[in-house]
Amino acid sequence: MAKPDFSSSGDVSADVIVVGSGVVGGMVANELAAAGHSVLILEAGLRLKRAEYVENWRNMSFHNRLHSDFQGLYPQSPLAQAPLYFPPNDYVGLSGPNGSAFKQGYLRTVGGTTWHWAASCWRHLPSDFEMKTRYGVGRDWAISYNELEPFYCRAEEEMGVSGPHDKSLQSPPERSRPYPRDMIPFGYGDRRVAEIVNPHGFHLVPIPQGRSIEPYGERPACCGNNNCQPICPIGAMYNGIQHIEKAEFKGAVTIAEAVVYRIDTDENNRVTAVHWYDAHRQSHKATGKTFVLACNGIENPRLLLLAANERNPNGIANSSDQVGRNMMDHSGVHASFLANEPLWFGRGPAQSSCIVGPRDGDFRREYSANKMILNNISRVAPATEQALKLGLVGKELDDEIRRRAACGVDLSISLEPLPDPENRLTLSKTRKDPLGLACPDIHYDVGDYVRKGLDAVNTQVKQIAGLLGGTELRITTNYNANNHIMGGTIMGRDPKDSVVDGNCRAHDHPNLWIPGGGAMPSASVVNTTLSMAALGLKAADSIKAAFAQGQA
Amino acid sequence: MKQKRQKCLDLPGYFVLSAAIGLNTITFAHAQATDPNTAVAERGHYLAIAADCAACHTAPSSNKPFAGGYGIASPLGSIYSTNITPSKKYGIGNYTEKEFAHALREGIRRDGAHLYPAMPYTSYTKLTDDDVHALYVYFMTSVKPVESRPQKTELPFPYNIRASMAIWNALFLDDTRFKPDPSKSVKVNRGHYLSYALAHCDTCHTPRNAMMAEKGSSPLAGASLSSWYAPNVTSDPVSGIGGWSNDDLVRYLKTGDVPGKAQAGGPMAEAIEHSFQYLSDADIRAMVAYIKQVPAISDSKDKAPRDSYGKISDRESFYRALPASRIGRGEYLFSGECAACHRPTGQGSPDGYYPQLFHNTALGAPIADNLITTILMGVRREVNGHTTYMPGFGPGSYVDSLSDQDIADISNYVEQRFGNPNVKVTPDDVKLIRSGGPKPLIAQLGAFTVPAMIGAALIFAIAILFFIRLSRKAKA
Repeated sequence: MAKPDFSSSGDVSADVIVVGSGVVGGMVANELAAAGHSVLILEAGLRLKRAEYVENWRNMSFHNRLHSDFQGLYPQSPLAQAPLYFPPNDYVGLSGPNGSAFKQGYLRTVGGTTWHWAASCWRHLPSDFEMKTRYGVGRDWAISYNELEPFYCRAEEEMGVSGPHDKSLQSPPERSRPYPRDMIPFGYGDRRVAEIVNPHGFHLVPIPQGRSIEPYGERPACCGNNNCQPICPIGAMYNGIQHIEKAEFKGAVTIAEAVVYRIDTDENNRVTAVHWYDAHRQSHKATGKTFVLACNGIENPRLLLLAANERNPNGIANSSDQVGRNMMDHSGVHASFLANEPLWFGRGPAQSSCIVGPRDGDFRREYSANKMILNNISRVAPATEQALKLGLVGKELDDEIRRRAACGVDLSISLEPLPDPENRLTLSKTRKDPLGLACPDIHYDVGDYVRKGLDAVNTQVKQIAGLLGGTELRITTNYNANNHIMGGTIMGRDPKDSVVDGNCRAHDHPNLWIPGGGAMPSASVVNTTLSMAALGLKAADSIKAAFAQGQA
Repeated sequence: MKQKRQKCLDLPGYFVLSAAIGLNTITFAHAQATDPNTAVAERGHYLAIAADCAACHTAPSSNKPFAGGYGIASPLGSIYSTNITPSKKYGIGNYTEKEFAHALREGIRRDGAHLYPAMPYTSYTKLTDDDVHALYVYFMTSVKPVESRPQKTELPFPYNIRASMAIWNALFLDDTRFKPDPSKSVKVNRGHYLSYALAHCDTCHTPRNAMMAEKGSSPLAGASLSSWYAPNVTSDPVSGIGGWSNDDLVRYLKTGDVPGKAQAGGPMAEAIEHSFQYLSDADIRAMVAYIKQVPAISDSKDKAPRDSYGKISDRESFYRALPASRIGRGEYLFSGECAACHRPTGQGSPDGYYPQLFHNTALGAPIADNLITTILMGVRREVNGHTTYMPGFGPGSYVDSLSDQDIADISNYVEQRFGNPNVKVTPDDVKLIRSGGPKPLIAQLGAFTVPAMIGAALIFAIAILFFIRLSRKAKA
């Protein structure tokens, strides 16, 4: 078992240095450790127990729980901040017409943000890979769906995804292997809504998800705590920490509270080392043969810009000036209403089914696609807030909470922004983190493509609410973030207008890989994690091949 | 009922009883098959299940039955099971029935080499000739040959000297067949035969001496199995299972789960999964009838039955919303790591999938081995096609990797709240279990084992000579 080599000063050398310990960093580290390489994982944040997150959540105020404070239960390293919103810490400075739509909730902690995801494991559609060719908008990927498809399969197996074996319920149906487990069975609400809306062209399908109703290997069965966000209390949902543990079992070593801030390059622009600050602000150096940056869509471009050096004055991997540009997220809205019959959402996992009818079509030449998740998070908290506002007490209050919890419907709707170089992450001139490193600023405009898409959403939602006898229909008017951060290290064939190639290898540095959401040139409307994991596995394969050819 | 018992007692001695045990009581759907050889093979199949051959000879999650290769953890190192399919090259395809019986009963392979007693030949030696024949026919005609060589057992010196087993056998192997006790009912005798010759309950539940041989003086009184502990299953109402109803014992053996009382984990879960769940109700009831009349062995340290400790907890209302610094570490970790399933009250889930903690035999036991091992390794049991699973909290856990201190803190908390408050767990206890549990003298002796066994054999021989001389003198 190959192990990183530690010197007495705290410097380290290893075959592979992975910066970031989320789902992508964990999977890449696991693959390369399995292939016999020594692997060092550097993580800016803390390493804590699941129990602490669980107890912090249980101890949170009703207000924070009701308004989904999914960040606050994860204690942060004082030297590695991440966004907080209760109250806001303004770590990420937002501006532009829709700056408020980019309030991302990501974690800097060992295991990464999949601690508080909902485990939706969607694939992009084949058409999503060729937006320019098919619809004349956005960009094409440097790889086709078929090239990524085997890695989608592997990512699904790594994450133990349950998805429909019935082809008619698959989105997309183009698959070379079945889902590792059949779909999580629909709850009553999913079945009933499908019955009512599907005859009208809405295609309600099960969400493929990283959990299962029977144990998946060593992973326990989901028992429907309905607490996926912000923490699965029993480890039944896939979390990135699970691959960190697997990688460590094979010899990889993780250093927590290690904030990487500098990247050294040689005369051939190969990366030779990264430098990090430890919890005592002491600097150390990790030298390696191959480097992987897996810090997700905001910290990756921030680090590349922070680490500008003499040879790379605009930032590492940034000869194209595209690092930090094309920032995307599934900007979305929520629609809620009371159906005229009880649907009992809130049993089973937090997400269960989704309307994917408007996911694709020729309309995408003109305006954004969408998907509508039939949110399965228990409606008891919002129902209670609404019932209290009515001034009810005693049995009347109880009955009203019950009625609203039973009939309440919440649709979480995602839209698809196009990559726009003006939607840009830059380093703040004024705000620094406690280590004196510049905080990120992001300018964001969802664009007319999404605005036109929202008009279509409004029409569709009204139709759906009508079919379900909905009253008190509310559609939010401000776009919300969905934490699916994309674009900042965009993939392309041409080094002049993109940062990485089809393997997420930096055009500028032959031994640097930057896999993950930042590479994605089109957003589609689906959660990014499975695509990020697939890109990570593809990068890991290309790193293995590079080692085999003596290039890594 | 009374009449029936009378009838049993009237049976004239061994002969009829043997016949009843060997032949009459094995009944299952296909026993009426027309081809007599098929019927014998089917009976052999049932016997192979009852003897749980697959537990060791089929590697977990392997689709090659009886191809071996499963590493059986022993204090001396992993002992890998052999290929017992009728493959002529890798299995037992060339064995004659006599050679098969020799391996089964005396632990000696066809090539003359000795087996380690991880193979329970000390139990199988009790098998009737008829049953050995049926097993032979089954393995030779119904099992598919698998052409692969399982991993070789390589114990460290001196345990790698298989010939030393000859001395061990001379000291500890009682190479005789099962003899029914005419003073007991057919049912109890059948249960005795099933429990010993086939299910080899004693292999785990009877304590062993310094040389890892079962102590004949305390059958089924409970024994350590590396990390797990096989509890006292004698009829003692406090130390054993004397207080269990027959129905609870039947349910336990059939499913591994008696809600509110006991759940099977580790090797017992394997025995239920591979063997007991498939046995006929009549056979399970016979085993229960036997086990209920095994002479009680009581341990004066046991003050109350294992399933009588603890009660429902109301602690959450006291600690909820307090900062971690103001809560005991064990309580804090219990709440965060365990209570999502077992509930803060310790009641478990209403459907029993997540067991109740109070009145639970694992927590009421006089030692915490099974509690610690359950936390470290979890529980997995597949019965009736349904998997019951608790993840372990050891390295690489999908929930959390807990330290020795964490597990000691949780164990002490749950023992105080829900279990036997006299049990105290230290991080060193957890460390010991993590490393494979307490080691018997033979494993600690290492290189001195063979001289020690020779010494013991000599003392034994001298004692016999002395005894013979004494008796001659007495006669003279």
